[in-house]
Amino acid sequence: MGSSAKKKREKKSDFKKTKLKVGKARPKNTNATDTSFAAKSIVLKQQSLSESGRDPSTIFNHNLSLLASKADTQRRDALAWLTNAITAMNAAALPQPPSAILLKAQPLILDGTASVRSQLLKLLRILPVDQLGPLDQVLLYTRAGMSHLSTDIKLSSLDILDWLIEAQPESIVSCAGGWVKTLETFETLLSWNGAKGTTGSLTGDGKWSATKPTVSLGSSKLLVHQLNTLTAFLNAGLVRPERDDNLLAIQAAECWPLWHHQAHLMPTKSNPYGYLNLCGKKRDTESDMYEDPEERQEAFITSGMCRAFVQGVTEAKKEGGEVGRAAAGVAKALQLVVDVG
Amino acid sequence: MKRKLGALEKVDADLPNLQHKLKIDPRSYEQDFVNQYSQYRSLKELFLQSPTTTDDSGIVRLRDLVDFVSHTADCYPKLTTAFPLDLVELLDLHHATLDPELRDKLVGALVLLRRKETIDSVQLLDTLWPLLLKTPSKNLRALLFQKILSDLRTSNQKATNHKLNRHIQSKCFELIVSDPTSAKGLWAVKLTRELWKRQIWSDAKAVSVMKEAALSQDAKVVTGGVRFFLGGDQEREEAAAEEDTDDEGNIDMGKLRHQAGINKKTGKRANELRTAAAKVKRKEKKKNSPHQLNFSALHLLHDPQGFAEELFQRHLQPAQPKVRLVLEQKLLVLQLVSRLVGLHKLTLEPLYSYFIKFLTPKQPSVTSFLASLAQSAHSLVPPDILEPLVVKIANEFVSEASAGEVASAGLNSIREICARQSLAMSDTLLQDLVQYRKSKDKGVQMAARGLLSLYREVGADLLRKRDRGRDAAMGLRIGEKQTARFGEVGIGEIEGLELLEKWKEEQGIDSEADEEAGWNNWDAESDSDDDGEGWINVESDGEEIDISDSEDEREKKAKAAAKAEPTFEAQQSAGNTPAATTPASSRATASLEPEAALKREESRISRLATTRILTPADLAKLNELRSTAAVTAALPATKRRKLLAAQTAAASSRHADDPLTAAQISGLSAHSYKATRQEKIAMAKEGSREEGGNDHRSTTARRKEKKESEGKSTSNKEKERKKNFLMTLGKAKRKGKRSLTQERAILKGHVERRKRGGKRGNKGQ
Repeated sequence: MGSSAKKKREKKSDFKKTKLKVGKARPKNTNATDTSFAAKSIVLKQQSLSESGRDPSTIFNHNLSLLASKADTQRRDALAWLTNAITAMNAAALPQPPSAILLKAQPLILDGTASVRSQLLKLLRILPVDQLGPLDQVLLYTRAGMSHLSTDIKLSSLDILDWLIEAQPESIVSCAGGWVKTLETFETLLSWNGAKGTTGSLTGDGKWSATKPTVSLGSSKLLVHQLNTLTAFLNAGLVRPERDDNLLAIQAAECWPLWHHQAHLMPTKSNPYGYLNLCGKKRDTESDMYEDPEERQEAFITSGMCRAFVQGVTEAKKEGGEVGRAAAGVAKALQLVVDVG
Repeated sequence: MKRKLGALEKVDADLPNLQHKLKIDPRSYEQDFVNQYSQYRSLKELFLQSPTTTDDSGIVRLRDLVDFVSHTADCYPKLTTAFPLDLVELLDLHHATLDPELRDKLVGALVLLRRKETIDSVQLLDTLWPLLLKTPSKNLRALLFQKILSDLRTSNQKATNHKLNRHIQSKCFELIVSDPTSAKGLWAVKLTRELWKRQIWSDAKAVSVMKEAALSQDAKVVTGGVRFFLGGDQEREEAAAEEDTDDEGNIDMGKLRHQAGINKKTGKRANELRTAAAKVKRKEKKKNSPHQLNFSALHLLHDPQGFAEELFQRHLQPAQPKVRLVLEQKLLVLQLVSRLVGLHKLTLEPLYSYFIKFLTPKQPSVTSFLASLAQSAHSLVPPDILEPLVVKIANEFVSEASAGEVASAGLNSIREICARQSLAMSDTLLQDLVQYRKSKDKGVQMAARGLLSLYREVGADLLRKRDRGRDAAMGLRIGEKQTARFGEVGIGEIEGLELLEKWKEEQGIDSEADEEAGWNNWDAESDSDDDGEGWINVESDGEEIDISDSEDEREKKAKAAAKAEPTFEAQQSAGNTPAATTPASSRATASLEPEAALKREESRISRLATTRILTPADLAKLNELRSTAAVTAALPATKRRKLLAAQTAAASSRHADDPLTAAQISGLSAHSYKATRQEKIAMAKEGSREEGGNDHRSTTARRKEKKESEGKSTSNKEKERKKNFLMTLGKAKRKGKRSLTQERAILKGHVERRKRGGKRGNKGQ
């Protein structure tokens, strides 16, 4: 009796419905397909991968266009390919002029991926220095990078600025906005703008000022780098290129009967009477061009930044260590102005 | 240490986080803000150097930074003085080429700055308004319009911002006036209409903007302006009514309190209840506050005569038309002109001769022309101008040979014209037309009867003797009824005043002493009402949640409200009726009495109305007397007369502001032919949408829907009937096998439950 009931139950169990319970998940169907896998790769069966048949300049252009790609690996690879290609070819045979390459590559200064930025620096370093074209856009990107939120981008854009100063010191400091705006960026980065208000710890409106924000707890790597780059920048902007007396003598001898003939020639500078500002609109001191070291000095002093920098440097020197040493370098560069002023 | 550092920096690197921290402590994060601001500036400069070729990532970054700065700019007002100007400049110069998302972000940022009071409304709207007119992008226009509208609404929310309104109104005005030929004026029309609808702009200046629009030289702008005058006020009323019903249906305070008593008490629920109570209180306050007096746009016009003349000359009868209007648009303009003429009783003689050439049955949408003509007739139009028109209508439309609907449209329009100027009719023509009441066609019949009853009222001597009817004939004989002469104005009186007078006489109340008492008595009554029951106090402190709101208290409220109601109605009717009195009702009682009594009565009425001010008590009594008089009038002997009176009352009480439509002209003839399938479907659909219409459903279905809409559940019977068959099976099986003791227990339990009132009992209710 019992066994037969058991058997009956077993037989019936195949046709029984599973009970659904309120609030519980529905049991899976027996014929359900598991879709929880993820594809590791997608294989395209037909894709032409042969690059051999194509013209090298086409490939070059293709890689140049890949710099604006969405995938960071692709950007990095394109940069690496370009680096190799440029080192292999000589500068005259490049399919695109270096200025065009620079134009395409400069947005990558603000790229989020570290490997792309480092590869970019490698590419820039091998570009021929004398054919870079106008540099104010690169400088804009660099300044944006220097004030970026992420410390990594800050560091790498300081590297770019180092390269720029090394490559074309004259044009960097004399291009539009290149001098004052870059200095202002440094000022805000180093938070040396305390001198503009009152020197004490009270701000202009009589409230307690904020404590100086400590950039990246513990490590002073960024600060040291900033100070070093600033030193280089100040030197580039303030030091007058050495005059070769011999050369001058030779030049004078060549056009002997003439004396002081430069004064009567067409001016070599653009807009020589610009400082008079006869018919222009109100001067925008920030984005102006300062072509002479004297002009730059004056702008540096009149904008009040000189005082702020001197004060900041003395503060920074007190920190000692690596920072102190770097600050001493800045102080030395500042000495150029202070001596004159 | 190093791992932690990494994590911290990662957190630092996103803007929303920084934004949050900035808002908490702006002073400490000033340096970070300065960094981001300079970042924004360099990105903006990069963008400005090549606005069209900047890559996606640059634009995204710029957008993020704009968002960030606009959210935090109010913390550093000194540092960001240039920021709004930057945004304005960006939008101004590059709106056509900007990336759409960045563009919308810029607009949003400006609006945000306005909300944070960094810039003021005038500045914002001065930026957005020209942009709205300039931009070729449809999306941007929609966005800008919406932003402008919402900004105007918010700045008018607490109090009317007259300065801003005036500024924007003059901008709209200038837009239309400076270039009347451009279609850009449509934006001014749209904005004004929208704000009029929401009762934000309800002054004469807004109306003058629309007036200029109606007189402009672009067809779209013209129709926009004209449509505003024809439908703007109605739209406003509808919007207001919708708002009212929307709000009222929402909160049932009693239910909420009940729920709060039962449900678990949490802070959130308590808060919800409190906010609901506050909302109810606010609404109550709003309801009790004096209703905002809104003049219709047609009444706010500065110079209606000039406006009507100019509209007519520019758009309807121009020597050289500056704007080409299609027939439909012309009809709209004509409708407006005729409404202006009818409403303000203007004199515009060329208008009537203009109508003549359109008065043929072949003319498309001729009923609209007829309606306009009737609308433009009023008591100050010389009858000899209207008479040829009436004759023409009679000749063209009304004949035995013409179709039923044509004839009825003609008759209806003649009736409408004559209702406004009864002198436009000659006796021979009238007697001819009245004969059509014997027509086979129902529509024509009714129209002719309408004309007949109208002339029994206003000019019975034009009718043939046997058509005059008893009342009119008697009236003529005793000399009470005389045709009004041209330009004659009737005297206003209060309906049912003679009843009050008679009642006073019967009661023997001296008018002098009574007047004082009436006021006193009324005041005392209302005061005692308040003190005794104190229901106003309960309602007035809505902040405090009173859960123990018992049943009887609510009842008291209802009673008090019911008491208050009649007085309100009385005042209302007293305020409304003097202009639109019905001589019919006074005559209804008077005609039964001898002539001398009638004279006496009339003199007394005038004395009462002119010698004293009716107290609230008087008005309440008046209302009561009037309703009892209505009940006696419902007796079968007076039924016919009552019907007649109601008809004339309806005709005369049609508000002067209401337009006359083509549908009214075509009248019953609309139903005289067999409807097509589409029309039947349309009618059925309309009926189901309307309340009380025949929606072709069973009574049960309708009842059920009503119950459901009231939020009531089904009855137990219904539930029993609907219960799933399989669920009842088990019980039915067991039911037969119960033992006697089980049966007894069950029966006992049932009785017990009945006594208690359900399983849980009715205690909670």
